[in-house]
Amino acid sequence: MTGWHVDDQMLRRYVERVDSVAEGASVEQHLLTCERCRSRVNSAAYAAVVDLGAVLDSTLAAVEVPRPSAFERLLRIAGLPPHEARMVAVASAFRGVWLVGVATVLAFAALAAKVGDAGGLWFFLGVAPIAPCLLVAFSYDRRWDPALEPELATPYPALRLVLLRTIAVLALALPVVLLLGLVVPGQTPLVWLLPAVGFVALVLAASTWVSPLNAAFTVSGAWLLVVGLVVRRTYSAGVVLEPRIQVAFLVLAVGSFCVFLARERHLSQLRPWR
Amino acid sequence: MDGPPSDAVLLLRVAERDVGAFRALYERHAGWLALRLARRCNDGELVADAVQDTFVAVWQKPRSFRGDGDVAAWLWGIAIRRLVSRLRRRSDVEAVFGRSETVPAAEDEVLLSVEYGDLGAALARLSPEMRAVVQAVVLDGLTAREAAQVLDVPVSNVKTRLYRAKAQLRAALAEGMS
Amino acid sequence: MTASISLRGVGRRFGATHALTDVDLDLCPGVIGLLGPNGAGKTTLLRLLATALPPSQGDVRVLGRDVEVAAERTEIRRRLGYLPQEVGFPRGFTAFAFVDYIALLKEWNEPVARHAEVRRVLAQVGLSDLAAKRIRAMSGGQRRRLALAQALLGSPPVLILDEPTTGVDPEQRVTLRTVLAEIARTSVVVLSTHQTEDVAALCERVVVLDGGRVRYDGPVTELVGRAAGRVWLADRPDPAATVSWRTGTGRYRNVAAEARAGVEHVEPSLEDAYLLLRADRSGAGVVAR
Repeated sequence: MTGWHVDDQMLRRYVERVDSVAEGASVEQHLLTCERCRSRVNSAAYAAVVDLGAVLDSTLAAVEVPRPSAFERLLRIAGLPPHEARMVAVASAFRGVWLVGVATVLAFAALAAKVGDAGGLWFFLGVAPIAPCLLVAFSYDRRWDPALEPELATPYPALRLVLLRTIAVLALALPVVLLLGLVVPGQTPLVWLLPAVGFVALVLAASTWVSPLNAAFTVSGAWLLVVGLVVRRTYSAGVVLEPRIQVAFLVLAVGSFCVFLARERHLSQLRPWR
Repeated sequence: MDGPPSDAVLLLRVAERDVGAFRALYERHAGWLALRLARRCNDGELVADAVQDTFVAVWQKPRSFRGDGDVAAWLWGIAIRRLVSRLRRRSDVEAVFGRSETVPAAEDEVLLSVEYGDLGAALARLSPEMRAVVQAVVLDGLTAREAAQVLDVPVSNVKTRLYRAKAQLRAALAEGMS
Repeated sequence: MTASISLRGVGRRFGATHALTDVDLDLCPGVIGLLGPNGAGKTTLLRLLATALPPSQGDVRVLGRDVEVAAERTEIRRRLGYLPQEVGFPRGFTAFAFVDYIALLKEWNEPVARHAEVRRVLAQVGLSDLAAKRIRAMSGGQRRRLALAQALLGSPPVLILDEPTTGVDPEQRVTLRTVLAEIARTSVVVLSTHQTEDVAALCERVVVLDGGRVRYDGPVTELVGRAAGRVWLADRPDPAATVSWRTGTGRYRNVAAEARAGVEHVEPSLEDAYLLLRADRSGAGVVAR
């Protein structure tokens, strides 16, 4: 680096753009290597060209502010106000990874039902009704929710948040389950619907006593056990599909939901035994 | 630690998500980058957007600076390409490479040749189209294709003009020496 | 002046365990320190104040509102900032994203105002430069400050802080003290801590809890005054002292329930007074550290 630097006249000519091509090129090449002259140019630049302060603000916004995920944008299109779309979408459950995982499991289950024997059918019967309630629990369980205790002391109604997330999960999961149910031979797709909804309502209600995931795992485990036992005894899917059982699930769904609404204040307070 | 951190050090910190270092980098470079960009494009808003694009790109890929050469040169490479990219999307805005606001008067031409020698005078005597190409490719570091995009001419045109410009400059220099 | 927070006959039970019994308190704007050993009920008390837990008996009123009435509880939460003892951070979140999420829950719906507020509280705790950093890449002390930042959103009139300075290095602790002192001019700040130095530096008022009961509630100076004339230095641990320990200079600091004459007295610290208070109940005896 030689001792040559941009003198004040040259600087002025450069900023005012009355220099020649050669001089301009010379200054520009020099600026690439000389920090001192750059800082002199900078002070002229702030007054001259663009509102660099405003540009800094919007650049920082682009850099710091989290960008909405695809799911969040989907929710906005569906009509949710932007701030609520963010609150709902930010749950771990809606991360692409998990949704893909759940869909994969269901797909395999449907495949097993189609290709395999009665065993495959039972596999689907076991997995399909519990997938939605597991995903719902995951969407607002404190361990996976963005903020554990601090959230308890915020004014936003916990009930609304849980319901919004539940609806989002159902809007995603139920069509998938129904579609896959079409693949399963011999049964009407809707047969999985009531058990799935029933379990979701049951988990919601139970989450006013215990943590949602604990409730969901318990319900899921119990169901898989029941399915397993029925398989051993009857080798037929007929049992679940009887109208009596379907009505029972409907009653379970409605009853649980009522309990859930009645006890909703417990959603935003600590449960003594977590 | 003595003295303020170098640009390369700031970049490393940006890679570690240090917003303070990012701000410092902005404060050091946004000014001259904006000025230089504005000399190629009259639209102030476009220049502002290009500056923002540049720094967002710096934030997203700070490690793409390989440590070779000046950070300033690397930044310019990003900035000019961001400007080109923005210009391509806008048909109403024109790039003004290589154009100076005033045409040098006769005595200034003499001064020019005194200060920069014959090269300076020869440059000034190039036709505007050839000067634009020289500015874009030689001085600003664009590829022939990028220059073609921003000047809105076919690539072959760019290459021809560049060839001719170089020939003309060489001839002018040879002339001057003899 | 009416108290910002008042508790009357408050108790909290967990099954057979009584975490809090018979607590009566009136708290006004300023910084109130909550001292006590582990299991004394500090966290439970703070949770009650933050409306995160309902009382088993008694009344808790914050800013004139009853915590047990749902609508009033929501109103309290609009004016409350809470820093729990442990905060779980979500995976993959940056500092900014986390505080932004809490701000959403605190009804900051408008993005421009919300982002400005997020930056403001991050600056208050000295985390501006780390705004875009992933939380999992931050140190324990930085995470603690981040957790404090979310409590500061909206400059709430009531601030409940459970061990805000744990894991925070001494330099940053000084910054935090300045921030809290500033806020305490118009807000009630209740903070629990194990460090008596924090209380001594920050609080005008201290509440000492032990076994779920209030053992002392009053000015810090008065509590310290109780230990006047009861603290002295010696070359050996004094058998007649209630508590005795070796200091950095190699000499022994002794604290006793009764004033003693003819010994090298020193100015009592809050820690001395606190130890005396605790020892008061658990019986005399030399405790060498």
